[in-house]
Parts: sequence; C-alpha cells; structure tokens
Amino acid sequence: MSEKKRVGVQNYRFIELEPTPTTAWGKFKRVLKRSVKLELFVGLKVTFREMFKALFMGEMHTVKYPLEKLPISPRYRAIHEMKRLLESGHYRCIGCGLCEKICISDCIRMDTRYDENQRKEVVEYTINFGRCIFCGYCAEVCPELAITHGGRYETASEQRASFSLFEDMLTPIDKLKEQKEYPGFGAISPNADENIKKTPLAY
Amino acid sequence: MSAVKETKKTITITIDGKEIQAEYGKSILQIARENGIYIPTMCYLTKVEPIASCRMCVVEVEGVDGFVLSCQEKAVDGAKITTNSQALFRERQNIMKLYDVNHPLECGVCDKSGECDLQNKTLEFEVDEQDFTAKEMHRPVQNWGFISYDPSLCILCEKCVRVCNEIVGSEQLQISVGGYKSTIVNTKPDNDCVSCGECMAVCPVGALVSSDFKYSSNAWELEKIPSACAMCSAGCQLYYEVKHTSIDNPEPKIYRVTNEFEFSNLCGAGRFGFDFENKTAFKDSRKLEEAIKAFKKADTIAFSSYISNEEALLLSKIAKKVGAKLVCSDSYGLSRFLKAYSSVSGKMLWDGTLEDIATSDVIISFGGKIAQDAPMVKNHIAMASKRNKARVIYMHPIEDYTIQNLVTRFIKYEAGSEEGVLAMLLEFLTRDKELDSKIKAFIDELDIGYLSAESSVSEEEIESLKLDFWKRKRFSLIIGSDIFNHERVENIAKIIALIEKYTNFKLIVIPPASNSLGVSLICDLEKEKEGFVVGVNAPGDFTLSSLGDGDFDLPAFNQIEGTITTINKQVVPLNVALPYDGYILNDIAKELGVGSDLTIDLTKELPKEKGFESIEFDELSPNAFSVHGEDLRGYKLRNVTVEVNFELEEVADLESFDGTIVYCVNPSQNPNPFTNKSHLLQSKATLIGSKQFATAAKINDGDRVEFEMDGKKVTRVFRIDTSLKGTIALNPIFDMGLSAFWVSSYRFKKVNINKVGSGDE
Ligand code: SF4
Ligand code: SF4
Ligand code: SF4
Ligand code: SF4
Ligand code: SF4
Repeated sequence: MSEKKRVGVQNYRFIELEPTPTTAWGKFKRVLKRSVKLELFVGLKVTFREMFKALFMGEMHTVKYPLEKLPISPRYRAIHEMKRLLESGHYRCIGCGLCEKICISDCIRMDTRYDENQRKEVVEYTINFGRCIFCGYCAEVCPELAITHGGRYETASEQRASFSLFEDMLTPIDKLKEQKEYPGFGAISPNADENIKKTPLAY
Repeated sequence: MSAVKETKKTITITIDGKEIQAEYGKSILQIARENGIYIPTMCYLTKVEPIASCRMCVVEVEGVDGFVLSCQEKAVDGAKITTNSQALFRERQNIMKLYDVNHPLECGVCDKSGECDLQNKTLEFEVDEQDFTAKEMHRPVQNWGFISYDPSLCILCEKCVRVCNEIVGSEQLQISVGGYKSTIVNTKPDNDCVSCGECMAVCPVGALVSSDFKYSSNAWELEKIPSACAMCSAGCQLYYEVKHTSIDNPEPKIYRVTNEFEFSNLCGAGRFGFDFENKTAFKDSRKLEEAIKAFKKADTIAFSSYISNEEALLLSKIAKKVGAKLVCSDSYGLSRFLKAYSSVSGKMLWDGTLEDIATSDVIISFGGKIAQDAPMVKNHIAMASKRNKARVIYMHPIEDYTIQNLVTRFIKYEAGSEEGVLAMLLEFLTRDKELDSKIKAFIDELDIGYLSAESSVSEEEIESLKLDFWKRKRFSLIIGSDIFNHERVENIAKIIALIEKYTNFKLIVIPPASNSLGVSLICDLEKEKEGFVVGVNAPGDFTLSSLGDGDFDLPAFNQIEGTITTINKQVVPLNVALPYDGYILNDIAKELGVGSDLTIDLTKELPKEKGFESIEFDELSPNAFSVHGEDLRGYKLRNVTVEVNFELEEVADLESFDGTIVYCVNPSQNPNPFTNKSHLLQSKATLIGSKQFATAAKINDGDRVEFEMDGKKVTRVFRIDTSLKGTIALNPIFDMGLSAFWVSSYRFKKVNINKVGSGDE
C-alpha cells in the first residue's frame, strides 16, 4: 500500500530557517532587526494603495449590503417567478397542476376554473415559502416554462409561513421586455431544435 | 350455488399457457378477467353488450387465422389462446397510433388527465410520435345541460351512445359516421334528456365532462369517499370526490360525484345533487337541552324515511324509553303493505331484484310513475327492453311519453281503481292454475264486468296480454308506490302476493322513499300522530332537521356513517364525506340513556328477526363488485319466513275520481328537498297539466293557482305540457321542505284549483 502511494517521490527541499532565539537578548535582537528593515511600511503601502483606488478610482471590493447586492448566477434557485408569453403578454401557466403535484414539501396550491372563453383560468396560485425547500422540481416539471426560480434570495420574514401570490411572482407587464428565460433546472436544452421531430401536417 | 349454475357446461381452455376451467357461454375476455389475465381494451364496458369498435382486445387462437376479438368471441372447449405477442403488440400499437392522430395535446388542462384511457394506453403501447395526419377541422365544444362535449377529444369508442340507449333508454345520442368527420350527435338537443350523466361517466377520455366541474380540479387532487346515494330507495354506489374549497378555505367540499361506472349506474339526482349537506350546524349545548326536553315530553315522534337504519333504531329506542308513538308517513304504507303481503306469501319480502328486471322478457309495471319515481328501475326496464326485446306493459292512470320507446303496451286505469285492476289481473293470470278454495272463492266472486267498467280497463286489454306473454319465459311484476297510501293497501298487497305465489312473475316492490324499507322493518309504526310531536326530518312541534331549517340540526346523508336498506333488499353503508360539527341523534339518545358510543355500533344490533345480520359497520364494503359487475356491497337481507294466515276482503266499491286531479310526483333529477338544496338541481316547482286539464280547471298557461292538499294550501305556477293528456296534473313537492315528507294521503288527489294571479310574482 504505502509503496503505491508515491509519497516523497517529488523533490522536496527544506527551507533554511534561522534557529528560533531562546534567550531574551536573542529575541530583542530579532525584533530590532525586523523593525529596522521597515517591513511594516511595505504592508501599509499596499493598504493605502487599495484605499486610494477604492475611494478615488471606484475600485471598491466589498458591497454595501443591503444597499448593494452581488449579482447572482442565473441558475440560482431562489424565490419563484411566473413568466409571461412574450408575444401576447398572457401568463404562461395553464393551470395543469403538475407543480402542485410534484412539490415534495406540498407548498403549492392553486385554484382554477372554466372561464368565459372556455379555457382553464388560474384564479389564484400560492407558494408557501415557509415550507418551500427550493428544490426546483416545480420548475423542472412545468411543461410551459411558466414557473422558474428567480434571484430573490432574501426570504426572511416576520412569520414562519410567508406566502407569495400569483401576482407577486408574475413578471410585471411593463417589464415584459426584460423577462429572461431561465437557464437552470428544467429549461430546454440548448440543442432542443435538433431534437424536435415535426408532426406531419395535412395542410 | 344455485341449481342453474350447476347445469352449465364447464370447458377447459388455455390462456397464455395457463389451464383454466370456465363456464361455457362466456367470452374469452370475460374468462381472462375472471382469472386476472390482462387484455387491453378501449371500448369494452362491462355493463353493456360488447361494442367492438376499438379492436384492442384482439388475441391469437391456435388454429385460427388472423386475430380474434376476445370481447365477442365465446371460448370453446380446448381453445389455446395467446393474449400477448409481438404481432399483437404491433397491432395494438397501430390502433393507438390512429387514435392519437391530431388528438389535441391538452392533457395539461384536460379534466381526464391522470385517469384517461387514451393517455394510459398511449404510454403503454409506446406511441411517442405521430406518423400520419388528417386535415384538422373546426369542432366547437357543445353544451348539453350539465354536460359539455368536446368533439376534438372524442375517440368515438361509442360507450356513451351505448349506455344512453342500452342502460338509460334515452336514445339521446347517436354516432354520426363520416370517417374522420365522425362525431357523437345529440339527436334531441331541445328536448332535455334525463341529465343522468351516464354518458359522461363512461367516457374514457375528456370528451364528455361536467360543465360544473370542468377545470376546477385535477383528478388526482380529489379524495374519493365511497358511499351510497340515499336520494331514493335504489341506494346506488357512488364516490364523493372531496378537496379543500379553495386556497383561502381549507374546509372540504364535494367537487363531483363519480361511481364504479363499469358495473353500476347513477341517475342525475345522485350524480349532480351532491351538495345538500347541513352547513349551519355547531355544537350548541342549549339546543341539546331543548331537544332532550322535547323528546322527554313527546307523545309522538314523527319522522321521514330520510334517516339511516341506525338512526331508525335509535328512534325506536328513544320512543320506547319516553313512551312515544312512532309515526312515519312515507313508510307507514309500506309497512302495512309488507304485513299484509307476508301473511299471504309466507315471507317477509319480495324475491325480485333490479337484476331480475334486466333479464326479464315480460315486465308489468303497475302503480307508479317509474321513470320519475325510480330511475334505476326504469334503467333496468330499458336494459330488458334493449337486450331481450322485453314486452313492457305499463299500467298507470297517466301515460308517460318519456319512456314511450320502452313501453310496448300502455294500459290506462282510473285513479283509485288499483285494487280492481289487480284483481282482474289475478283472475287472468291464475285461470288455469290449481287454487286454494279460499282464493278460488275470492276470484269467483269478482264482478269482472263491473271492475272493468269502473277502472276503464277493458277485458280485451287484459286478454291481449296473452300475446305479450306468448313464448316468453322470464316475467317481472314491478309495484310502484301509488298503492302504499291507498286506503285498500292491505287487500292490494294480498292480491299482489297471490299473483307472485301462483304465477312465475318475479315481484319487485319499489319502496316509496330512501330508506322506507329499512324504517318499515326496524320500527313499529303507527298511523296518527297525537299530542306533542317531535319531528325528525318531518314537521313537528319541535323539529330536528337535516335541511338546516328546524329547531335542532341533524347531519345530512353525506355527513353520516350508517347503513340504508335498498330496493334490492341490500344493506349498504354510507360514509362521511363532509364534516358535521353539531350534535347528532345519538347525543340525544345518550342523554336519554339509550345511546351507544357511536351510532354505527348499532349496525350489528339491527333486528335479526327481520333479516338483518349481526355484522360490524366496518366490515361492510361500500364499493365491492365482482369482476362481472355483481353488486357485493354490504349484505343482502335474509328473507325471513313468516306464518301464512290471511283473509281476503271483497274488492271495495270504487270511489270515483273525476274533476281535476293532481298527482304528486317529482322530476327524476330532483326527487326531494335535499336535491333541491344542491346548486345544480335547485329549481322552481310548477304544476304541469294538459290542455284538457287547463280547460277543466278554467286556468291558462302561466297562471298562478292555489289548491289544498292534505289540509295545506299550495300555490304554484301552472304550465301546459302538450305531451300530456287527461285531467290529471303533475304536482312536484320537492320545494316544500320538511312538509314534503308529510304528504301522507293517496298520491292522486281531487282538488279545487283556484286562480290567484299570474306569473311568478
Ligand atoms: S406546472 Fe407550470 S403550467 Fe402547470 S400549473 Fe405549474 S406553473 Fe402552471
Ligand atoms: S382526453 Fe386524455 S389524452 Fe386527451 S387531452 Fe384529455 S387527458 Fe390528454
Ligand atoms: S364522447 Fe367519450 S364515450 Fe362517447 S364516443 Fe366519444 S370518447 Fe367515447
Ligand atoms: S345524460 Fe343520460 S340521458 Fe342524457 S345523453 Fe347522457 S346518458 Fe343519455
Ligand atoms: S336518486 Fe336513486 S336512482 Fe338516482 S342515483 Fe340516487 S339512489 Fe340511484
């Protein structure tokens, strides 16, 4: 076993360390030697340089949370978004209930009805974020790419159970142009077009 | 088992290498199902004759070229059958491919998704792309009453057409054949069908759905609660499908009613009138006190048959304890009938069942407006008519045009003359029979000429029944509920018992209301109420009501556990679909010292001497059927033998019924005040009569009229129905609340009709 491990086959080299002083005099001499070499100011120079850059050249390295937030990966799974159809602006959700069914924390509920246009209307839709574990199953199962995860990760609230209603999650109609497709769990594959087979049509 | 079964020839066949013994005469598919061997089908429906439109059930039989349709082909001795092979798989896959051509991809919203045969079989036969195409066309959704038909989802399996014709007898639906253009057509869209929803229940896809339920829930979200419909004495099997009301309201709500549609049926009342629960109740201890006080001082406990067997037993116990009389107006007639009937027949109950009606080839229906009173009886008449070309002889004072297609001979008699007509029938049917001297004397004394004149049933009409009976073998006599409140019910019962005894007619008696049979067997009923009356689902000085309008609330049939006794003499369980928060009868009984821990503890205490069994409630199945559809729910009452001891009275002189007469009958979809509480069936009651009636009563269509019935004033809008004849008008009573259960006199009533206004104001 140990032979096969090949430990120590590389060319390790010992650094030459000065022996650690043992007497009080020896220690005093070492402090003196290090200080007089002005190593401290080397460090301070770096600090001042970065401070200057941050204050006067706009190269700040920290963010002023909560006034500022770091951009988050588009694949991150935070509070859900309900998407709209780009052409008509109508919400994409068809009320199929698959997300409700698949949700392993049983936190999605929806009310649907037969509307005046003989279509299935989603009357109300809620997610209980006190229970949601952000597994992303709903986004994966959705046949319409209607429910996706978004980037809103702050889920602290005054109550354990905080709900989101359909309206809260739906892309505001005036922000329709900014609506982005979700590239995460459940999105169509980048080469989806190649895999599509056309159904023969008689007209 | 029965003697008939033993004489059947047994055959031995091999299916998929398994040797199987079976009865000769069954199809390959039936034998396979009996033995748990799976053969896929799309159009096969156990309760109708094989449709054979889908060809999915093909099998290979050794020595036979090509495939054989297993649903139609009877198995022959020694046959070797293969139900699965590559060739069969391909054949079935091709069938599924054709079904799937242009089928809308709308499982996402379709009500049927999750329980759709097309979805299941498409996956099973691995159809994942469409190879062929057909030009799609515009096929708009049609709405037929409570039912919505989407032709583009229809796979033309024909199940709906078959049930509507063969089971319901409505002949409403037809298939319009035209290749890819074929659709189901509603042949009489203006004429309301009976709205039973049977077509919708059997539809294997989402083509026929309830417009009320449509898109309100997915099938898998609903919890199925097996129970029985207690809206009439048929006690049909059903499932209440329950889910929370909405996001904001976690209270359970019944979304729809479904059933074991492969084997059993529902009428519109059971299927669409499901939300009659008593919502208002809560535990009010002051009210409980009042109720206990009322029971303590009761001289009479008046109740209706809309209670379970267990509640009936509780009432008997309470009555005994407090020394009150038990009065039940809608079961009293039946209990009198049964006593008189048993004294002649030597048994407590009739022998026939609904299934006997369906297998008959001659059916006499007497004394009831069957299609409205007992939709299930009408369905079984339809089955007999369609399958066996049964002669259906309908005897009643009012001709029923809604079942014209089923009735082969209508014999009209005068209202009130039932006794005389049955006596004529007895004379005719027993002519060449050896009779007991007592009975012979009774028959010899009959003045047929007089009876014929008074009842206006001519002797020729009765003689002509010979033609109907010729070469026929299975006979059924159905007795409707007109006779129970006839003054002469005892003698009528004896005549009926004699017909049953001396002829090969199977007798079926239709109990007049939900649990009338149970109530008649369990309680000792008296006729007149007196003193302080406590009403249980009936009017009283202190009223307990499941309708929610009394002094004390009781749970309705969809909120209780308990059993009811059906026309098939079967004790079937009901289960709780919706919660009930108030006090129940048992709480009162407990306070009075006669209650039990739970109401259903009484199920095993139901009277053995009346044929009930000592079985725990929890052991009764609410939804068991055999693979061929035999109803195995609950248990069947034992038909107890009783002593024969009777005197026949001479047929009484007939009271003449002339002038304007009203007949109390509710439409089949809305049989009682409970269904009239449901959001779909709720309707306005109108008095319906012929032009002749209008002339006789000097009223016009649309008039508001008033008349007196059992001492109560009733006001109704009058409507003329041109399909009616004669001077008898139809008067529904479903809108009268609890007092509807108190109409205790003979169903035909002579009344004076007074016009008091017009229209609905
Ligand atoms: S899975 Fe998608 S389309 Fe279906 S209900 Fe959920 S969000 Fe709507
Ligand atoms: S009928 Fe069946 S296959 Fe067709 S859309 Fe509905 S669920 Fe899907
Ligand atoms: S409506 Fe339904 S039951 Fe009727 S033929 Fe079409 S698929 Fe079959
Ligand atoms: S509801 Fe009943 S009567 Fe009407 S079309 Fe359907 S099966 Fe026939
Ligand atoms: S009302 Fe009678 S016939 Fe109709 S479903 Fe109920 S029990 Fe059956």
